[in-house]
Amino acid sequence: MPGIVGPDEVRRISHEALDIPGVDGVEVLFMHEWGGLTRFAASSIHQSTWREDTGLRVRVVTGGRVGVAATNDFSPRGARRAAESAREMAGVVAPDPLFPGLAPADPIEDTMRFDEATADATPEVRAAGVAELVATCPDRFAAAGAYETMASEVAVANTEGQFCWAPSTQASVTTVIGGDDGGSGFAETFATSMDELDPRAIGRRAADKAAASQRPHDLEPGRCPVVLEPSAVSTLVGLLAWIGFGGRTLAEGRSCLSGKEGQRVTAPSITVFDDATSPGTLGLPFDFEGVRRSHVDLIADGVFLDGVYDLRTAKQAGKTSTGHALPPPNPEGPFPLNLFMVPGDASLDEMVAATDRGLLITRFHYSNIVHPVESTITGMTRDGTFLIEGGEVARPVKNLRFTQSILEALTDTSMIGRETELASEFFFSASRVPALKVESFNFSGSSDH
Amino acid sequence: MQAAEAAKAAGADYADGRVVAEESESITVRNQQMEGIDRSNSEGIGIRVLVNGYWGFAATARLGPEEIERTAGLAVEIARAASRLPMEPIRLADADPATGTWHSPMQEDPFNVPLEEKVALLMEATHRMQGVHGLAFAEGGIDLFRRRTSLATTEGTGIEQTTVHSGAGIEAVALGEGELQRRSFPNSFRGHVAARGWEHVQKLGLIEEAERTATEAVELLSAKECPTDVTTLVIDSGQLELQIHESIGHPVELDRVLGMEEAYAGSSFVKPTDRGKLRYASDLVSITADATLAGGLGSFGWDDEGVPAQRVPIIADGIFQDFVSSRETASVLGIPSSGAMRADGWQHLPLIRMTNISIEPREGSLADIVGDTKDGIFMATNSSWSIDDKRVNFQFGCEIAWRIKGGKLTEMYRNPNYTGITTEFWRSCDAVGGREDWTLWGTPNCGKGQPGQVARVGHGAAPARFRNVQVGVRG
Repeated sequence: MPGIVGPDEVRRISHEALDIPGVDGVEVLFMHEWGGLTRFAASSIHQSTWREDTGLRVRVVTGGRVGVAATNDFSPRGARRAAESAREMAGVVAPDPLFPGLAPADPIEDTMRFDEATADATPEVRAAGVAELVATCPDRFAAAGAYETMASEVAVANTEGQFCWAPSTQASVTTVIGGDDGGSGFAETFATSMDELDPRAIGRRAADKAAASQRPHDLEPGRCPVVLEPSAVSTLVGLLAWIGFGGRTLAEGRSCLSGKEGQRVTAPSITVFDDATSPGTLGLPFDFEGVRRSHVDLIADGVFLDGVYDLRTAKQAGKTSTGHALPPPNPEGPFPLNLFMVPGDASLDEMVAATDRGLLITRFHYSNIVHPVESTITGMTRDGTFLIEGGEVARPVKNLRFTQSILEALTDTSMIGRETELASEFFFSASRVPALKVESFNFSGSSDH
Repeated sequence: MQAAEAAKAAGADYADGRVVAEESESITVRNQQMEGIDRSNSEGIGIRVLVNGYWGFAATARLGPEEIERTAGLAVEIARAASRLPMEPIRLADADPATGTWHSPMQEDPFNVPLEEKVALLMEATHRMQGVHGLAFAEGGIDLFRRRTSLATTEGTGIEQTTVHSGAGIEAVALGEGELQRRSFPNSFRGHVAARGWEHVQKLGLIEEAERTATEAVELLSAKECPTDVTTLVIDSGQLELQIHESIGHPVELDRVLGMEEAYAGSSFVKPTDRGKLRYASDLVSITADATLAGGLGSFGWDDEGVPAQRVPIIADGIFQDFVSSRETASVLGIPSSGAMRADGWQHLPLIRMTNISIEPREGSLADIVGDTKDGIFMATNSSWSIDDKRVNFQFGCEIAWRIKGGKLTEMYRNPNYTGITTEFWRSCDAVGGREDWTLWGTPNCGKGQPGQVARVGHGAAPARFRNVQVGVRG
């Protein structure tokens, strides 16, 4: 099995790029990833894979002109070639007046998120985890999902003397359990170490939800209160990040939060921040241009404070980078990858009990932006949608389409869960969020299952 | 071949080794400034094995003989671990061993075109857009891609293929009070990509269409909101492309139908027993999956199992005919593979992916369809998409719309969208345009699978008309 390349070898290879002549500055982003994913459907393992890749992304600056080249040839020759290619590209473009320079030297401590056993996990270990999960399936139910163990190391080196390196691991179990009578249930968990995963508990949770979801009823769409479980809340927070919190979209007036700094944008009970180094998430201590990741308060007590910045957008806005750069060239600008919503004091049961008539939503599916400035999105419910009547879960209902403004939903939030989960509908990040009770949520259509 | 033999020696009943080398180049210009210019290269090998009826797959970028042997052994180990949960052993539908080479059509290699020429094209197009008063952002992009694939299997297949994709597009953004309006050309999300050379980019007309594109973006700021109504809907070929992709292409993937994608992207409302029976659409709608179309992103000589490119009827005169399939899934139904297995690079296991899933052209131009419509709404250029996990309930947003009255486009509307149920919508289709307005579009960003894969697929589409469609969904 492959292991960590390590900072010394990264420095050695990067030097071949950093040393290229005839340029003002060079930055090398190194990414090495390896691990396996065991995928199951119909309660059997049907696709099981393992992969390893090592990449170098070299950014060259000359006279304010910037070029980027990437390769997975992790060798002195590969690094040199990438640097030469980036230099060639930089030579034909106009100077970038907003180019802020490369990150200055700043020693950044590792967050110690590397678990050797997870990095070395064998296919047998993952298969055993899947078997534990599948064993929770009752008769006439079947499980599908994935058990993944991944390891990675990321480093940034530049000609300003900055060098930072961090290894990390991630393990996850996700499942959808379906029954013969049309309903399904979902559960997932992410952690730094596979020891923190409990496939049996994930299976039981999804199986219980699947059992409760059988024979779903039709329901007319319309506005009603909802209790959103953390997975559903992660969709709202993740898409708000996409259209709202980036320093570039804010500065350009494209964000739903542009010009609203200091204004109330949600209920006073809502606080959202980004913190890659918090123990509750899976972030790296530095961003992809080698800047230390900062804790950023985005919405505090319902008031929008500010967004996140990389070096370029910070220069554009007259601010300091918060350490939220994505890999170059990244025309979209900075992005918060490790969001948190501060929990409240309610249990999920209390939220349901406080709802006379409404819906309990497990998660959303294939959500997308309808109107970015109004923060309006659409998507479907999935894997557990229930009608609440008289403060109790009355029966499962067929999936519904919602079309709803995120900021309006967060303004109409009346209760916040006291437990949080790390969850995501999307591949690019996960948010640690609680459940929410929203007093008015717009359902614009329905499906047949 | 070394990979397949090493896997066989390690105990595989079947094995294939696929060496893939990819290169890409991307240029983005916004408001006369370079937003990004980058090149990427990636090379490695993916080894897939079948051991006692269970799949295993391992991939590495290290191409030395020892590393290939180690990776092949790991693939076998993975397959053996999968047998912990018993299932009906996987069988592969028969396929003749394939040998040969294939190259996508190309007149001028886009990677050989000087960078200065590419940058100049985008600078000029964005300059012309910026000349329109009131425009906030003028953006242009060029994306080039080349993939070289060598596939060898223990059944005797040995093939080499090279694909080159070229694409470009422009986008105009206007900002108003609480409004952001966008117009794209020739299509949204970075334009029009085709399996062609630089000649494709040169023919797009980015400079010629720049001013109109920008003007429409600015005009949208003061246009009325698209009304909420149930009405006749005409959509352009760029939007019909994505409608086909989401509501026909994905639902007819046989792995989804058999539940293999259940936990992630979802499954399908279409059942194996629907072949030859399900009234999917109106009589006017015939859909084919054609991997032999010149210029399509879903075109190839053979798929990543070595099955030859085919033209497969998916819907004929409104009746569902067949799925897109792999050797594994086809064997479940006792049919031959449709040749639709493709992997994203060397790192991933091949999955069933759309080839070029297209609507067959009928008669007339977009102008003819509009001219034949007394009252309705015409929407153009996709801006948003969403569909449920069985591909039943969908909602699409478009960049722009106009009211059709008496066969003419009249008032412009902003923020148009429409929603529906897949089969109800397609059954309501009563006009499909002809060859003159039919375009083979490229969709280079189709996501599927775990770990996530991105496929480059094609869709031929013409303008079309649908009756009794819900438009103007509000939040």
